[in-house]
Amino acid sequence: MKLELRRIHIKDIQFGNETVVKDGILTINQEELVNKLKEDKRIKEVKVDLARPGEKVRIIPVKDVIEPRVKIEGEGNGFPGVTTKMAQVGSGKVNVLYGAAVVTVGDIVGFQEGVIDMWGEGAKWTPFSKTYNIVVDIKPVEGLAPHTHEETVRLAGLKAAEYIGEAGRNIEPDEVLVYEMGSHAEESKKYPDLPRVLYVEMLISQGLLHDGYIYGVNSQLILPTLLHPNEELDGAVISGNCVAACDKITTYQHQNNSVILDLYEQHGKTINFLGVILTPELTTLEGKFRTCDYTAKLCKTLGADGVIISEEGYGNPDSDLLMICKRLEKEGIKTVLITDECSGWDGMSQPLADTTEEAVAVVSTGNVSHVIKLEPADKVIGDINAITTLAGGWEGCLKEDGSLQCELNAVIGSTSEIGYHNCTVKLY
Amino acid sequence: MAKKFRVLYYVNQFFGQIGGEEKAGVAPTFEAKTLGPALGFNGLLGDEGEVIGTIICGDNYFNENKEEALEYIMNVVKEQKPDIVVAGPAFNAGRYGMACAGVANAVVDELNIPVVTGMYVENPGVEECKSKAYVVSVADSAGGMREALPKMANLTKKLAKGEEIGLPEEEGYIPQGKRLTIFSDKRGSQRAVEMLLSRLNGEAFETELPMPVFDKVEPAKAIEDLSKATIALVTSGGIVPHGNPDRIQSASAQKWGKYDVSNIDALTGEYYTIHGGYDPVYANEKPDRVAPLDLLKEFEKEGKIGKVYEFFYTTTGTGTSVGNATKFGVEIGKELKEAGVDGVILTST
Amino acid sequence: MKRKDYQIITNNPLVKENYDRVIFVDGGFQDVLIKTRDLVHSGYKLISHPLGASIRMFFSPYRSILITDKADKLDMEHVEIIENSIVSYKKQMDHRKPDEANSKDYACIDGELLKSALEEHERLSI
Repeated sequence: MKLELRRIHIKDIQFGNETVVKDGILTINQEELVNKLKEDKRIKEVKVDLARPGEKVRIIPVKDVIEPRVKIEGEGNGFPGVTTKMAQVGSGKVNVLYGAAVVTVGDIVGFQEGVIDMWGEGAKWTPFSKTYNIVVDIKPVEGLAPHTHEETVRLAGLKAAEYIGEAGRNIEPDEVLVYEMGSHAEESKKYPDLPRVLYVEMLISQGLLHDGYIYGVNSQLILPTLLHPNEELDGAVISGNCVAACDKITTYQHQNNSVILDLYEQHGKTINFLGVILTPELTTLEGKFRTCDYTAKLCKTLGADGVIISEEGYGNPDSDLLMICKRLEKEGIKTVLITDECSGWDGMSQPLADTTEEAVAVVSTGNVSHVIKLEPADKVIGDINAITTLAGGWEGCLKEDGSLQCELNAVIGSTSEIGYHNCTVKLY
Repeated sequence: MAKKFRVLYYVNQFFGQIGGEEKAGVAPTFEAKTLGPALGFNGLLGDEGEVIGTIICGDNYFNENKEEALEYIMNVVKEQKPDIVVAGPAFNAGRYGMACAGVANAVVDELNIPVVTGMYVENPGVEECKSKAYVVSVADSAGGMREALPKMANLTKKLAKGEEIGLPEEEGYIPQGKRLTIFSDKRGSQRAVEMLLSRLNGEAFETELPMPVFDKVEPAKAIEDLSKATIALVTSGGIVPHGNPDRIQSASAQKWGKYDVSNIDALTGEYYTIHGGYDPVYANEKPDRVAPLDLLKEFEKEGKIGKVYEFFYTTTGTGTSVGNATKFGVEIGKELKEAGVDGVILTST
Repeated sequence: MKRKDYQIITNNPLVKENYDRVIFVDGGFQDVLIKTRDLVHSGYKLISHPLGASIRMFFSPYRSILITDKADKLDMEHVEIIENSIVSYKKQMDHRKPDEANSKDYACIDGELLKSALEEHERLSI
């Protein structure tokens, strides 16, 4: 498969009479976008707002982030199996509005958090303070069941990204990134001496607000499955997980999965990258045993020498992460795990409750209970009530000057367990 | 020029130039001078700070009269109003280490004044205070003084001036156990790929989340017939015969003792506790509460167990180094095994 | 649901109303964990993992956990999972209180996640 990600660098965003990109400035026809989304009769109201890096703007509660793109050559524009008809993705040419992001907000349940601060202290903790954000706030009609509500908001975000991405169709890109990789047989012939490496990407697969989709298939229903890395980079995987702000993998982070990109960088140089195994994180213990055994078996069958395993979420998925690690290490396959940790407010607690001696190589992407201070914003996009939820965690977290203290777990992408952000933990 | 920051120094009787082991019982005193290591330390502070005085206290006095010692010491600290307190370095001296740790914890907890000390990594004082004080990692003997003082002085300067303290390996202190979230210059995925490459190439790598290491002991096989078994009683609860004939330390034990209990039915009456780590009232009232010889003897009479082994083994667990505890365990275990003991009731506090 | 080989330990009133085979715990999330621990120590096995998959669900006032309907031999792996879950829960809630303001929504999501877990249990026909 050969995929070209053709980046058009977006340097600013604004509203205007048509949706176009000119000289790196993305203009959006607000009315047209709203009408497009309201084609879904389940949507009552759509509000569109813009947030630029550096502005004193807070966005909350964030449901998903999506990169606007358009496929100009090859099969499968959009998200096959979800918003467009089924197609084999992973090959062709995609124009990417690089630097822009669609951010959906919508309170499916009252306790949602997930904050993006575009300025100051808060901005340091999330990768999405650096993107030009088109925030889409979806209010559905009354009386929708929670599942339908969730699906409505999820699809609206994807459609908004497709609509805006269309503006890049005929624009010359500023840079072109090429991702090409043949069959295992071909690549092994080219690089017979390089160690074979797989990426195991775990996905929360547990029900409402805790789901992920592969070509539209709910990952709860799959056995671990092998993807060509290009498929994920080309829209095969989307997020339906929206209660774990700090460590959920947004759709944007699937489209730009940092583990895939960093392994691709080494492909043919230091490693032979074999692909991505998507592994569901199930609820039942029997289910967990089955997926962990199956994942280890796939890695072994494919002849992996080394495997990077990334977790999604915190709590019961810790068990899956360590079980997969244990099984692989026992087979002599070397692992590196990526996870976040909870070592308490002061960082003095034992970081993981579940432990295994086989987990000798772990990348920590931050302490989810690390407390940060957020200054008062000039403007809040989304739901002001969600700030009360954010601030309602403990007594004294809302300060008199209007600033609030929150734990990193409320900040989108702060402790990304695919290592999308720069946080780490050091022992002092 | 800015005002010099004020350092109060704590040393034991030896480094305070009062005397050796024979003076370990002296009560604390304060001198508005730079004594022992405080002198050299003062020189290292340059123009930025000065040692305003030295507290000297006998190691035994501190460990056996902790409350009184701390009362005096804390009064001095309150009067002298230092910006920072420096203690030791205690090297591998257990009692000195425990005293430095005691001072450190009290000063940090009660007055929120920072404390710098220095200890050998195995000194039992390290575990006591490393989360509150900065414990510089020093050699195991006073020969390491010359390397220890500059590191301690550097940390002292930074703390007194409110500067950010770097990583343990950069500054030379023993990790306090705080896992702090910071920004790396590389994103997590990049670090993961590099770590995997190191592993695949057989190169050294460092995990960012070390798994705790547990000292696992395989449980012994169950005793099939208790009515024929000889059971021994062992405790780390500091229960000794009145008068503590073997002078087992009340903390940071350096030895263990064994006592013939074949002719008594209970410890109550002849035994008491010298343990410095818990409230002794109830243990002294009835030491069988800590080591239940009374019940074992009853079981022996009823025939539930074959025999209570004639010797009772005891030491003090509090502040005792892992090294010493392991040594005691091996020695006691060997004796019990040779005596044909089948099972042991091991109590702690 | 065809399978009947489970019980639900829950403090969620919604679950109590809508399901049979419920062991209702009149208390908080932690009490549900402790009741589960007691039963695991007496030989019942966990069907679903005691914890949720996201940090937000730690703040939920409600939790429902699936266990087997019959006691069997004590399973150390299950003991370890429930004990570690209690340690995790306590650590996470160190300074925080359950988010009571949104308790209705948590009750709903807990119910949905339980439904998913039961469906998953159903798909595993052992």
